[in-house]
Amino acid sequence: MDVTLKIHRFVEGRKWVQGYSVPVSVGMTVLESLIFVKEKLDPTLSFTCSCRSSICGACAVRVNGNAELSCEILVEDLLKRYETDTLTIEPLGNFRVIRDLIVDWDPKYDRLKKIKPAIEPKPEFTAETGCKQSPEEFNKFKKYAGCILCGSCVSECNKNTLNEKDFLDPFVFVKAERLVADSRNRSPREHLQAVQDAGLWRCFNCQECTAKCPKGLDPAGAIEKLKEATFKMGLSQGVGGNHAKAIYDDISDSGMLDESKLNIKSEGFIMAGLRLPMALRLLNVGKMNPLESHPINPEIQTIKAIVKAAEKEDE
Amino acid sequence: MSKEISRRTFIKGMTAAGVVLATGSYLTWNGNNVPKKVKTGEVTYDVLIIGSGGAGMRAALAAAEDKNLKVAVMTKLVPTRSASTMAQGGMNGVTGVTDPEDSVESHMFDTTKGGDYLCDQDAVEYFAERAGKNIYEMDFMGYPYNRQADGCFHQRKMGGSSHPRASYFEDRAGHAMVHALFEQCLKNDIDFISECQMLEISMDGDKLNGVIAMDMRSGNLLGVAAKTVIIATGGYGRVYWIRTSNPYSSTGDGIVAGMNIGIPFKDPEMVQFHPTGLSANGVLLSESSRAEGALLINKNGERFMGKYAPEKKELATRDIVARGIATEILEGRGIGEGIHAGVYLDFRHISPELIHERLGQVYDLSLRFAGVDITKEMVPVSPTCHYSMGGLEMADFHTGASRVPGVFVAGECSCVSIHGANRLGANSLSEVLVFGHAAGDGAAAYAKEHKYEGNQEKLANDCAAWKEKFEEVTNRPRSAGKTVPEIRDAMVNTMWYKAGVYREEKLLQEAAQELTALEKEYEHCYVGDNSHVYNTAFEQYVELGNLLQVSHSIVQGAIARKESRGGHARRDFPQRDDKNFLKHTLIFKRDGEYQTEYKDVVITKYQPQERKY
Repeated sequence: MDVTLKIHRFVEGRKWVQGYSVPVSVGMTVLESLIFVKEKLDPTLSFTCSCRSSICGACAVRVNGNAELSCEILVEDLLKRYETDTLTIEPLGNFRVIRDLIVDWDPKYDRLKKIKPAIEPKPEFTAETGCKQSPEEFNKFKKYAGCILCGSCVSECNKNTLNEKDFLDPFVFVKAERLVADSRNRSPREHLQAVQDAGLWRCFNCQECTAKCPKGLDPAGAIEKLKEATFKMGLSQGVGGNHAKAIYDDISDSGMLDESKLNIKSEGFIMAGLRLPMALRLLNVGKMNPLESHPINPEIQTIKAIVKAAEKEDE
Repeated sequence: MSKEISRRTFIKGMTAAGVVLATGSYLTWNGNNVPKKVKTGEVTYDVLIIGSGGAGMRAALAAAEDKNLKVAVMTKLVPTRSASTMAQGGMNGVTGVTDPEDSVESHMFDTTKGGDYLCDQDAVEYFAERAGKNIYEMDFMGYPYNRQADGCFHQRKMGGSSHPRASYFEDRAGHAMVHALFEQCLKNDIDFISECQMLEISMDGDKLNGVIAMDMRSGNLLGVAAKTVIIATGGYGRVYWIRTSNPYSSTGDGIVAGMNIGIPFKDPEMVQFHPTGLSANGVLLSESSRAEGALLINKNGERFMGKYAPEKKELATRDIVARGIATEILEGRGIGEGIHAGVYLDFRHISPELIHERLGQVYDLSLRFAGVDITKEMVPVSPTCHYSMGGLEMADFHTGASRVPGVFVAGECSCVSIHGANRLGANSLSEVLVFGHAAGDGAAAYAKEHKYEGNQEKLANDCAAWKEKFEEVTNRPRSAGKTVPEIRDAMVNTMWYKAGVYREEKLLQEAAQELTALEKEYEHCYVGDNSHVYNTAFEQYVELGNLLQVSHSIVQGAIARKESRGGHARRDFPQRDDKNFLKHTLIFKRDGEYQTEYKDVVITKYQPQERKY
């Protein structure tokens, strides 16, 4: 059986899609199919790879619109998954393309630097005697220490596609959470302040990063954890934090959202004033009535119990 | 008299200027992989490190402790893609946190015995004394160690060690180390010269000029002036191409650059083969497979290891099991053909629950790459090249210095030698830390004491020569000769069958002749891509040239060593011969000729004994 690879080529400013036919063998990975093309059909095709055992992160590409580590994903499996005999291979999204499937990592390292990406151990620890940490404390961050910097998470990140300037890459948040949750660290404050300033609350919550991470690290979960941590440190000023706080207050007080005040609490009076047209539309369809007193959910006691239980669970 | 500029004219003018500027910046944009000061040639580095694996980054951090020194790390990929990330088991170091009985003496003895007494024992002692310190230091740098109840990192016992002394992060010890070092490099703002293929170390007589490299993104040849260079480019497992667990980048680039400026290649014949690589592609099935009770079965359904290691059977050391498998294949009891020939690894008697709990990665890899569900079927495995004990001679292990002034070596590309003829599990990560650190300090001290005495003009000329070579090589017509992968495959066939797990005089002599013929073909091979932007075809051409030179050295070393020791197994000389060969092989390249010399092994505490497990 043959597979047709439609590869997005980009060489010295010229862009085109080129088709190659590759015989599929048992256990053939997408990376091996690319190597077949380079060695047997077209030496000009360029891509990077190194370890071919899914730990170095060099070979991530987009296959049929989804980021994959090309060294670990089998051609056969993809053909079955998409019920096709053609695979479209592109470079990762949300990266500058240098040539063919090779992308530019420099700006990403600069973004990593923004969050102060290293621990400052507590004063009782030294380089000569190391640090102390319980297995439970280790468990809190060990998942996030598994990031291989492959870039799969950011490839489909909708927030980065819309505007990357006021946000970071999901893997940068993973690195931040790895440091914030590490008990050896003197204080999580400077990492938290950095992610807060770099757009933590602008995440769309679309979960694409979590769906694409080949290591199952759940970057979206890391972002949620960071949000929680900024709350606890009292760093969560700004629309996102206030919005979350307003919802929390409404739910714990009355068990229902008070739409007429939610926006004011989140954005403040002046910004909320600009939302007047929307407020009028909401009034018009009966979703909001500032004149009526805010109703209280009849199940409020149950809701309060749930909130309390959730908070206890969190501790 | 001034003419008034109308609004429309102004807008037109600005638009035109904008277009010109945008086009200009597009055409000249090469990214920031190379610091601007390197592109313009206005920097002379005090310490320039080639290779961004564990050894390279550890050396950079050590050298950069003095903020007045200019330090940079050059890599052909981007940082964190190195072979170090692939290490699974851990890093050895005596700390006594898990087993208070452990001692530096014990680590030293285990290492020396494991290396079949080809280790320099003074270096091993230096190593064993410092390995533990480096583990504490990595803790302070943020290494995510698995912990034990008292809050210390936990240590586990690896093959060939008498005590538990390997600290680790899950089964990804190397990955965690590389990322912890990278975090520190980012914090300390170390210069990275990424995506630059190192081509040559430029010398003017015995004075170091710097390093010639190709900026992959622009195709520009860079001459980077440096007072000292640390070669930390890793091993050379790719001489066996598909039959190695090493990454595609382990092509011995630094070893060749070092040999070309007069550093000898020490013990090149000492290559470690891991017994259980997947027959399909050489990817490693962890040692834990056999530890959990998997059996090795030949074509006839016999469990054969009893013939080679009556007591330990499958649990014998890596070299013994690898040779057992190779013998079965050679004598016609293997399965599969050619380079994919192997034997079966059988897990079927182990409960699926246990397999999923303890051998999850082995299960995944077998299913993915061989299409085999190990709970139901046997998976074909064969030996796979795993580690290069040999490398550039480190002349002074206190400083990492080679015998060429200003040039230092560290990591798998170097030969200290602490691994001797066979490396123990979890000694490689500690090696890169201890000697990366030593080389970083050594190079920094040298840079402070010496002025730059290189010749910038010669550096520029060497660059121009490579530029010319690039144009000549990449513009050859298809009819020029064989392709790069064709020559590589021929080289691999030669190396695997004639200088692989087993060696013997006749086959080694044939291998030497075949390699010479391949080197001739290489001179006019076809590359097939003449673009200046990220020309990976040219990069592979350069790497193949390096692999051929490394192969030549391995074969030369293997011919000279007429005994069997550690990773080097001669069928015609099956015994260890301490009388004649308790010494290191040194291969020099002089005027295109490979010359063999010897150097004594340093023995301090442990007289050679028979190596039994």
